[in-house]
Amino acid sequence: MSPMIDYVIATFTSPENIGTNPQSLFWLLPLAAAISIGYKATKLSEIKAGSFIKDVAGLLGSIVVFMAITALVLYAITRLATE
Amino acid sequence: MAKPRLSKNNHTFTLLIVGLLSWLIPGAGFFFLNEKKRAIIIFVTLLLTFGAGLYIGSIGVIDPYGSWPWYIAQVMISPLVLILGHYVSAGGFPVYGRPAEIGQIYTGIAGLLNLLCIIKSVYLAHLYRIETDGGQNVADD
Repeated sequence: MSPMIDYVIATFTSPENIGTNPQSLFWLLPLAAAISIGYKATKLSEIKAGSFIKDVAGLLGSIVVFMAITALVLYAITRLATE
Repeated sequence: MAKPRLSKNNHTFTLLIVGLLSWLIPGAGFFFLNEKKRAIIIFVTLLLTFGAGLYIGSIGVIDPYGSWPWYIAQVMISPLVLILGHYVSAGGFPVYGRPAEIGQIYTGIAGLLNLLCIIKSVYLAHLYRIETDGGQNVADD
């Protein structure tokens, strides 16, 4: 096997170094995008570039906004409960 | 878009083929139904999501014994995960902490999205049968 292929396979056998800091929560965004694209690809009756991108952006935005609101509510509850 | 004419006599068999194709290769069921754009979008999206999960958490996130609920979700992406799970269960790929969480979530969600695609493609195949058949009962064939 070529060194290039060896290298590519090796990257899948050891985990990446991701800390437990708040920034690591941004890994949510690509996943939310994948969910939006996958869901809309099955949901729309006809796939047209313009409407598809618009629908995906709408769903992605609503997921992110809902998650942000949920995080704020949970943070507020935690603050009230611990102070 | 031109809808494929599915066999009247082998309706159940066709649904089974569409479901199996969707499970074997994400999007293949839609491709079989002549929904090429949909098939390509699903194939690329699910493969990238699953690949990202494996890249972040390593193949160690596929753990048939330690985290079997995630494993069930992961297997939905393709039967190849069963082989990978067998290989990984021999040990040698430890993964803990945030990379394990993110990797499992990515691969699990990719599998569950493919389950959605399997169900949708089978349902679409069933609808095409009704449209091409004019809503006749299978027993009338």
